[in-house]
Amino acid sequence: MLIFAISDKGGTGRSVTSTNIGYRHALQGNDVCYLDFDFGSPTAGAIFSVSSVARGTRNGGLHEYLRGGCAEPHRVDVWTESDREGLRTKPPGAGRLVLLPGSEGGGELSAVDDEMVRRCVQLFGRLEEEFDLCMVDVSAGRSFTAEMVLQASVRLPSIPFRWLVFHRWTRQHIIAADGLVTGADGLLDAGARFGHDPEELRDRIRFVRTAVLEPDAAELVGLRDEQRAWLSACDAELRELAGRHGVGRTAMLGKVPLDPVLQWREQLISDEDVLASKIANAETAAAFDELAKKIVDDSAWEGL
Amino acid sequence: MLVMGEVHTALLQNSGEIQEPVCRQVLGLMAGETVRVSRRPIAHALSPDLLTGVDCRLPSASQARVRAVGTVVSRCAITGGRVAQGSSYVRVERAAVDRRLSWSHYLSRPGVAEVLGKAKAGDLAAGFLDGAPPDCLDLGAISGRFLDLAQSSPLLDRRAPFRIPRTRLRWVTEVGEPSIRFTLHSDQVRTVRIAHPEPFTPALAALCEDLALHDWLLTTLLVLVERAGIGSAPGAQAAAKLAPAVDHLLHLWMPGAHVGESLAPYWESLDRRPGFTRQWRTLEDRVRDQVALNTLTLLSITAQTGRRCQ
Amino acid sequence: MTSVNAAFGELAAERRIASAPLSHVSIELGHLYMEDFEAGPERLREQFGRVAPWAAAVRSGWQRRIPGGRARVSTCFLIDDYFSRFSTPAELVPMVLEAAAEHDLSIDYLARESSCAEADGVELARLVEGRLVDDPPPGTTGSRPPVKETGWLCNGSRSPRPGSVQAMGPAQRWAPPVQNAKRGHSIFVDVELWDENGGRRTWSCPFLAAVWQLLRLGMLRTEGELPLRPVPAGASWPARWDDLPPIVQLNDQAAPFSAYTTLSVLSPRFLPVELAVRTVLSQVAVDAEVLEQVRRRSDGEGVALEDEIVDRVTYVFG
Repeated sequence: MLIFAISDKGGTGRSVTSTNIGYRHALQGNDVCYLDFDFGSPTAGAIFSVSSVARGTRNGGLHEYLRGGCAEPHRVDVWTESDREGLRTKPPGAGRLVLLPGSEGGGELSAVDDEMVRRCVQLFGRLEEEFDLCMVDVSAGRSFTAEMVLQASVRLPSIPFRWLVFHRWTRQHIIAADGLVTGADGLLDAGARFGHDPEELRDRIRFVRTAVLEPDAAELVGLRDEQRAWLSACDAELRELAGRHGVGRTAMLGKVPLDPVLQWREQLISDEDVLASKIANAETAAAFDELAKKIVDDSAWEGL
Repeated sequence: MLVMGEVHTALLQNSGEIQEPVCRQVLGLMAGETVRVSRRPIAHALSPDLLTGVDCRLPSASQARVRAVGTVVSRCAITGGRVAQGSSYVRVERAAVDRRLSWSHYLSRPGVAEVLGKAKAGDLAAGFLDGAPPDCLDLGAISGRFLDLAQSSPLLDRRAPFRIPRTRLRWVTEVGEPSIRFTLHSDQVRTVRIAHPEPFTPALAALCEDLALHDWLLTTLLVLVERAGIGSAPGAQAAAKLAPAVDHLLHLWMPGAHVGESLAPYWESLDRRPGFTRQWRTLEDRVRDQVALNTLTLLSITAQTGRRCQ
Repeated sequence: MTSVNAAFGELAAERRIASAPLSHVSIELGHLYMEDFEAGPERLREQFGRVAPWAAAVRSGWQRRIPGGRARVSTCFLIDDYFSRFSTPAELVPMVLEAAAEHDLSIDYLARESSCAEADGVELARLVEGRLVDDPPPGTTGSRPPVKETGWLCNGSRSPRPGSVQAMGPAQRWAPPVQNAKRGHSIFVDVELWDENGGRRTWSCPFLAAVWQLLRLGMLRTEGELPLRPVPAGASWPARWDDLPPIVQLNDQAAPFSAYTTLSVLSPRFLPVELAVRTVLSQVAVDAEVLEQVRRRSDGEGVALEDEIVDRVTYVFG
């Protein structure tokens, strides 16, 4: 299964959320591979706390591989190469967790040629043989990278794939997330151009809300009643707006609460962070755990 | 001088094993060329041999700059309709003249790469087995692509019963007193070094493909047994996780099935030390015992429930 | 009884390769296109007039080379029915034979060009296409598949494409194409093998000519068998080209159609075509078993052959 992680805009927490989902999925006993296709700023290494590839790798990054610069991309086994002690031993029952970092100093693709799509197809095909899940961080907005994976997935008809569109819970983000999917040259439009069936493609796209502040959240306890009422009204308005834009509950796979750890330092949230050091909220870990199950749960992906 | 090769082995990307006619189509990589199929003692299908042109440095342990020009022979194989392999090899020989000739010269000697200038066979062998640096001959990439050809065939449903990495086996043969050395490197990389008193024949490549196949079987069965968590996971769960091994792997162990009589002693010596077949039989027994144990448990539960109902 | 020698064979597991009967040389007396036909029988007579002395010279050359002078020489003539259809066999063949006879030339085999694309359900052109092994530029390690322009084949590296592949990255500059086996300076050749229109593939003239040469050299097999065998001429000539066998044997005493070497006598206007043919031929990997068969036979006869296929193809331009 291929999961493509995209966001309407930068700064949505797409990378930190998708890495955490991948991490949780591996803890659930699946072999997981994370592909950093965010070529302009390949920082997945930092989130996994692998300092040697914190800003991408100098040799054999994905960017270099797609341009034909190396025969196979560099792989990092997170369970052995992470700098965080808590991550460095594979928990019993967990699956493999492998990071394919981007190239250090790489830039966004400025075009997609057939050769690049062919290499992308080869990569996905080979990873699919050995991993239960390949999480592909496709970067923000309309990009040649998104175009490339749309083309590649058309050529792999028997490999299942799904898209996660990450967005924040604000007016602008809701409108932009909808635009990225249904707008001109959006995923559906471009996907159809490359040979995807738009109906089928739509069924394979779900939204994930990030940094969500629930009106009844513990953080809001100190607020005045007026503030709380205003927030509640805003939330209702946003829900209505989201519904109108097809970003509402039915198309939503899950939401991740606002968590200071994710805001201040993008990192994996381990059970230790929740239970021992208590720097992260249990709700956040639970949300990741839930999403990690839902991405492969067919009932969450039935036609809309 | 020497022959070097690399074999990549993988689980065929299909839910079940494929039958001979499908094998023929999957491996029909060249128009007008037959797929060679043998049915006994185990189904084994071999694609036609294809050539790839190369002109590059050869890996060398001493970092010497050795250039070679010629063609690499590659093919795909499917064993038991279940395991796919991409295999490439090249005979390295000294060129008569130290400059690159017209391409037709190299095509008149298929499967040979001619070394321009001086080189030592032992240095090249060691360099190759260590893993080639990026600008050197990359037999692994060629074998990987041939394996892709089989794996990406539209005739396969891509719903393989379990996920497992490919293994790669690099091998070198030289002329000398008979000997064989098999080395496990990382999780996926193995090397084999063979000395054989007679000049090279493709049968030696077939021997290495057979070794790669059986090493993959053993590696894969070990992974499946580990995943089953025998002893820590509940019996029924462990048995369920072992089911694919019973369904898809256990009947495939047939060392030396397609290896010529004269090369059989190489397999036999590996079977004495480290004893591949011994390890396989032990694992096989373990898997069968688990499954049997679980069946017994289920039977006794059924019997108990039956008694209670009476 | 202590031990039994067991033998077990499986035919499907073995490769069996038929061998072709071989002459010493196959001489192509001419290649007829529509424009030659339209120019009338006079053009044909002229052509045979030019060819006759060369054919005689080659024949006597081989007779001197072979002990006892028993050289096997066969002649052939190719008619284009692929790129354009003109006239009918019934009208054209007798005219060709007559014009040849005027110069004491006997045509042993007559072939249709479209058979080089496809004949009797065998796509010869596809067989050859499948056997192309690209001439690798220096630095080709095998780590990526050969760089291909679909439908084209060259003898070196093409100019890099302008443009950059990375946002804000440096743009690539123009560089000249380079011949791989250059001696000092390049002669870069890029040959179009085929094009497609509405899903229908048309093979190029040089590519079919390369197939024709390989056929005459007895180098092609399909499923281990010879793809085409000459068929004796019938009592009369058919009215449609499709009813004419791919290769017709006109002389029942003729030496075998395929041969160790070939000679083509051509007008100099075919020079560029033949350069392209040689570019293709030097990148065709003939089956190793077939090469070995031919080598064993020629060694047995004491005939030394060039190692490279392309060097067994000779021309007279005049």
